[in-house]
Amino acid sequence: MYQALCRSGALAVALLLGTVTWGHAQEPQPGGTFIAALEGEPATLTAHLTTDAVAVSVASNIFSNLIGLDYDFNPVPELAKSWTVSEDGLTYTFNLEENAQWHDGQPVTAADVEYTFAEVLAKVHPRGSSWWPNVESAKALDTHTFEVKLKSPYAPFLTMIASTLSSGALILPKHIYEGADPRTNPANLKPVGSGPFKFEAWEAGNNIVLVKNENYWKPNLPYLDRIVFRFTPDEASRLIAFEAGDVDFLHSYIMPIDQAQRLRADDRFTVVNSGLEAVAPNDFLLFNLRNEALSKLEVRQALAHAIDRKEVAAKSTFSEGVPANSFVNSSLHWLFTEEGNYSFDPAQAEKMLDAAGYPRKQDGTRFELRLVWATGRPYEARAGEVVKDQLSRIGVTVVAQAMERTTFIEEVFTNWNFDMAVQGFTTGPDPTFNVTPRYHTAQIKKIPFVNAMGYSNPKLDELFDSEYKMLDRGERAESWKEVQRILMADLPALPLFELTQTSAFSAKFKDVITGPLGYIQNRERAFYIP
Amino acid sequence: MLSYFARRVWQGFLVIVVIICLNFFLIHAAPGDPVNALIGTMAPTPEYMEQVRREYGLDEPLLWQFLRYAARMAQFDFGESLRFRQPVIDIILARLPATLLLMGTALVLSSTVGIVLAAAAAKFRDSWVDRVLTTTSIVGFAMPAFWLGQLMLIVFALNLNWLPAQGMYSLRAPSDGFGRVLDILRHLILPALTYSVYHLALIYRLTRVKMHEALAQDYIIAARARGVAEHRVVYVHALRNAILPVVTIIGLNFGFMLAGSVLVETVFAWPGLGRLFYEAISARDYPVLMGIFTLVSGMVVIANILTDMLYAVIDPRVVYG
Repeated sequence: MYQALCRSGALAVALLLGTVTWGHAQEPQPGGTFIAALEGEPATLTAHLTTDAVAVSVASNIFSNLIGLDYDFNPVPELAKSWTVSEDGLTYTFNLEENAQWHDGQPVTAADVEYTFAEVLAKVHPRGSSWWPNVESAKALDTHTFEVKLKSPYAPFLTMIASTLSSGALILPKHIYEGADPRTNPANLKPVGSGPFKFEAWEAGNNIVLVKNENYWKPNLPYLDRIVFRFTPDEASRLIAFEAGDVDFLHSYIMPIDQAQRLRADDRFTVVNSGLEAVAPNDFLLFNLRNEALSKLEVRQALAHAIDRKEVAAKSTFSEGVPANSFVNSSLHWLFTEEGNYSFDPAQAEKMLDAAGYPRKQDGTRFELRLVWATGRPYEARAGEVVKDQLSRIGVTVVAQAMERTTFIEEVFTNWNFDMAVQGFTTGPDPTFNVTPRYHTAQIKKIPFVNAMGYSNPKLDELFDSEYKMLDRGERAESWKEVQRILMADLPALPLFELTQTSAFSAKFKDVITGPLGYIQNRERAFYIP
Repeated sequence: MLSYFARRVWQGFLVIVVIICLNFFLIHAAPGDPVNALIGTMAPTPEYMEQVRREYGLDEPLLWQFLRYAARMAQFDFGESLRFRQPVIDIILARLPATLLLMGTALVLSSTVGIVLAAAAAKFRDSWVDRVLTTTSIVGFAMPAFWLGQLMLIVFALNLNWLPAQGMYSLRAPSDGFGRVLDILRHLILPALTYSVYHLALIYRLTRVKMHEALAQDYIIAARARGVAEHRVVYVHALRNAILPVVTIIGLNFGFMLAGSVLVETVFAWPGLGRLFYEAISARDYPVLMGIFTLVSGMVVIANILTDMLYAVIDPRVVYG
């Protein structure tokens, strides 16, 4: 009895202590320097001239967005504390935070937002011209109210402007940019923003230093004193620097996935599987439909049966990624469907190829295809090797060729000089921006990352041209499920695997990733445990 | 002698001009479009691509682009980086000190240590000292710099945690004044060692052979017969004669070292020219590439002229006319 009492007493004390220390450890404290590894040096520190993730991951800490996105891809307040959408879906009115100010002390007003939309997004942003023609007007109604009127309804409008990496923009200070060319303004390299961290220094080739914005408009944020972005070009030494404690964060795109298991087992590090939900990247095997064999649907379907995507995913991502069963990533759960998926069935594949007029020849082979991929992403090279091997088993000879990335983009997307290519495509945060351009007939153009396959289906085009006008999310989801079914049936490409979101940071930091754009988000909530 | 060097400078200038012209067409002949590297990771609109191309004059015929470039170069204007939208000269000058520091340290280290060790090995020919040094030098000669660099990182940065792994300064605890100098020195050790090993081995091996040749000469026998102390025979009489070809190699190495800096700087995230060069290739940043080519060829030409001048200083028999 006594013993039992003692035991439960000890247990209670332990529990209490545990709670206290645990609670203490989780409580955000101000202070600390967070060193994030960047794979390259950004060309600019603002987000309005490029969609380069390296630039945006720095800029997102210096500038604020109008709105943000949660994990369900619903808009959440940022500089706009609230907004209304008119019944017809044409007028968006944003009410701005009143006490937000620029790093130089000037207030953030609707005039800044108006400038960013009308002068920057409309005129110089790489993707602005794709949606700006649909804007009737974008103007400040008063100091803290901003209104956008569209010509026709555009359902993903809020998601779009929240999406800093693709078509949206971080809000720029009008008083600094007005009257000069926003492309060459010196402030692009010495930015003045309204975000949680202020620009302090950029040492060429070395690092970028940001310091805490003491006057940030969100109370008590940020926690960190400094964020340093260190340019670490070499993958192997970057990992050593991370393990030696020289850098604190490896985001999803630079995390060496073959090391994830080992780092996960080490309590000095936190390894998470999150941070790319809004990017929603899948890796595809693109088919050039101009190739005689690949132009036949039965051939493409046969290849789909011949490729074991479980093996591709396991070998290329060291089991960190999962097979992709749709043209949209499963993190877009409100519209995702796996219907029309292909089973792994090499016997069926052989039968289909025989029927399509490609029987095995004397030497056992059927025909030859050229498969290309870009260097720099080892998982894509591994995927290419596995695909090559699997296709050889059904008698399809694959000639594989790795190319340096810039050359690859030109060969595949502007010269269309390929039979098959391994290529990652983002599919989020809304498929209208990042799925439609890949498969729409109107996007068979010689520019990067669009319909290089030469695929065209009028029924699909019709769906693409109507879905974004539907204001009801359920109705849109139905359209997108139909799109996925059609794409799976037509196979202009074969989805291979969903890109792993694995990222790693020092266990001395918490709340590093708090949203679906975690790999490039601002670190206002990240805090340091001394 | 003066007219000889004036002629050398003029020839060097012509070499640089030819290099500029050749390189311009070579890098434009390579596949890849700088606009693709500029726009980022998302699909742009075709209008935007055209706009960027026009803005940078990339839509003009290549010959016209070349003439414009040549006209600017004639006024020592290196143009503007496509990627950073800043003057090329500013970008290069910002990176030059880091490379010169790394290269200079490595050059001094590999030359002095290499020569001293070789002289020692020659003095104790066929002893265990000679054998150990010579075997080690073969290993040093054969090791690729990026691999050696990573080994150094694993041992000294990761396992022993003695030295920093990346960059030129400590980012967690920045320091000023003398503290900053020490900080840079700490960061310099691993890349400079990695950088030196190959050249040290090369200089060691060359000097050793030349020392053996020199020590077999009649003047050495004569010196010994005169009763000159043995260390003077080796370190003054023989070394002074053996060192001439070594100086040539050190001068020639200058160009190779710049090329080697790409690997070492990438492994150690050292903010120098080598990395800028590598990144400029990936981004097809033509003006920056051209700027680096011009600068490097200029430096190699100057290094070679300086080597020739040094000849006359070391060997009084060498007279230029």
